[in-house]
Amino acid sequence: MNSERIRRFHTGRIIEHWIAIITVFILVITGLSQKFYYLKASQWFILQMGGIDNVRFLHRYTGAVFILLSIVHISVAVIGVVFKGWKATMIITKKDFLDAIQNIKYYLGLTSTPAQCHRYNYKQKFEYWVILTGAILMSISGIVLWFPIFFTRFLPGEVIPLAKALHSNEALLLFLIISIWHVYNAIFSPDVFPLDTSIFTGYLSRERMLREHPLELAEIEGGDFEEKDREFRNMHMKEETILKMK
Amino acid sequence: MRPINPDRGVSPKIPPCLREEGYKVIIITFICLLLSINIAYADTNNSEQAKCLKCHAEPGAKITFENNETLSVYVNPADFEDTVHKDLSCSDCHPEFKGGQHPKRRFRTKEQYRIRASLVCRRCHPEEKICKKPIHARLMKKEHEGIATSICADCHGAHSVKPVEGGEVFETERNYCMSCHHQDFSLTFQNGEKLPLKVHLVYLERSVHRNLVCSDCHYWFSRDEHPERHFRSKKDYIIALSETCKRCHFDKYTKVLESIHYRILAQGNKNAPVCVDCHGGHDVIQVSKKKNLIVQKCRKCHSEIYQKYAKSIHGRALFEASIQDVPICIDCHRAHDVENPLTLEFHERIPEMCSNCHSNKALMSKYGLSTKVVTTYLSDFHGITLGFYKKQREELYKPTRPIAVCTDCHGIHDISSTRTVDPKTLKANLVKRCRKCHQSATENFPDAWLYHYEPSLKKAPCVFLVNLFYKLFTPFLLVGLGLQILLHIWRYAINR
Repeated sequence: MNSERIRRFHTGRIIEHWIAIITVFILVITGLSQKFYYLKASQWFILQMGGIDNVRFLHRYTGAVFILLSIVHISVAVIGVVFKGWKATMIITKKDFLDAIQNIKYYLGLTSTPAQCHRYNYKQKFEYWVILTGAILMSISGIVLWFPIFFTRFLPGEVIPLAKALHSNEALLLFLIISIWHVYNAIFSPDVFPLDTSIFTGYLSRERMLREHPLELAEIEGGDFEEKDREFRNMHMKEETILKMK
Repeated sequence: MRPINPDRGVSPKIPPCLREEGYKVIIITFICLLLSINIAYADTNNSEQAKCLKCHAEPGAKITFENNETLSVYVNPADFEDTVHKDLSCSDCHPEFKGGQHPKRRFRTKEQYRIRASLVCRRCHPEEKICKKPIHARLMKKEHEGIATSICADCHGAHSVKPVEGGEVFETERNYCMSCHHQDFSLTFQNGEKLPLKVHLVYLERSVHRNLVCSDCHYWFSRDEHPERHFRSKKDYIIALSETCKRCHFDKYTKVLESIHYRILAQGNKNAPVCVDCHGGHDVIQVSKKKNLIVQKCRKCHSEIYQKYAKSIHGRALFEASIQDVPICIDCHRAHDVENPLTLEFHERIPEMCSNCHSNKALMSKYGLSTKVVTTYLSDFHGITLGFYKKQREELYKPTRPIAVCTDCHGIHDISSTRTVDPKTLKANLVKRCRKCHQSATENFPDAWLYHYEPSLKKAPCVFLVNLFYKLFTPFLLVGLGLQILLHIWRYAINR
């Protein structure tokens, strides 16, 4: 049963994630070294890169790739949902808030089981939307900063420092969310350590599906939902009972 | 001027028989002669003088030469009494008039007469004796070469000949040199320019070099040496003279070697200033205290820039209110190692120069100015780029793109206060400045720069609010996520 794997991500998504890793990595190091230009490390990096102009060049064109990626991503999602009848599984619902409360209660030991989630749990949805809105904000403010003369033709000059403030603050926020929240959930979380490979392989084990996405598993496998629920409860209860026996 | 032949002069005639008698006879005769003069002295001296002065003490007495030049023959008895020659009688120097004779003599010119008179001096002051003084040796050399005849009275005076300062033995070198250089005479250069050689002791005494002796600076000259040197022009001479300064001020000299002034001088432009041009010669004084005076030195050559500066906020503060805190030429351009201000390297150092004062809180608060002008510039696009360009210049390559610095917006020498200009004019001027690099910049473009203001509710409120939002939201989010992670780990640990 452990060896049973369930297809979770399409190859397109895997490629998309790889491109995102590379572009975001480049954007973060070239961007943060500009934001924190006064740090020794930043200055060392910028000089290693052959100067501030090179770093800006790289940042801008990598940004362009990232913007393209975001556009493709949004287009695919919109086209899929609107025309192909995909399920809008990323949409935040009331259940996500309830799930969050349920999970906190579970962490605090107030309930015996965590929330049962569908394809994406509330943590993933939160991260997705933070990053997606962040990407849109960063793209717009980035383009404004790239072409200040063009934008001040029809916008007041103050949009430039505004764009800079947005771009720079949002960048730090996204960097911290990715480096703390995403890296924890995908690498250091005890559930997945040493690495959640699903975005690279496209597959997730049935055990993890049952533990993390029971509602989706039930939908994929069909059959009796009650059974899945029991299985899910057993999974968590087992740990609880073992704990109590100790 | 014609060279003279000493044989044709009025030198004492010695009978041929004495010449043949030999050395000893000459000495004996000479001693006898001296004795006889001494004896004659007592008798003739006073009476002869009195006789001569009957006419020659009349002011206005003069003789006329053939070319109608006139020479005063008036002798002031009081003046003569002060001279080293006071014990001589008139005919000792004017031998033709000995014994009450007053022959009529004819001279074509005054010059001719004076040359003749000079020969009389040589009777007591023979050439080999006076030539021990380098200046005399030089004059005599000229005379022998037929270039010019020296007239003793030109330097020493005639009836007014006075003991030189310090007596016959010059106690100090300065006295020795001043024995000639207190007089009005000048050096003529090959191009006809003249340099007065009179030294004004008053200035010298006031100068910082008052304790030096002449040859400390004029090291080619001494009591024994007075070499003849030839210079094409006054400037050539001053350049050569300035070489002497480095013997003590070597630190300054090495700095000067790096200066633009030295470079253009080395390229052959003699207008470039050397030490003496700015510091003066015998009147060298310490000027570093008075900024008003220092700028005058630069003004000598850079008068156009001086005019601009004088109208600037800094210049007006200096000249109208005598505020010494303002920068002057040398504060930015430096005094000795004056750099070429047209290079990118210099341009890139301008914010550093301005910040010397404008980031000094104590100084700026005196005039109600903010030190944020520097930090706001340095943390904006231009400032950051400039900072990296400077580093890149040192470590990587030389960026060729000029980055806007303080002077690009505020002006260089004509910096004016932005307080007195109305915002519309300011902005209109700024657009022009922006367009120098950002050709298609529109009127909105300058507002992309917050004019040295830090965002606040009054200035750039949107920027301020965005910053404030993130300042609160980012830590809030991070604490929330951190707590989630900790709770998750805690639950996991308990469950295991």
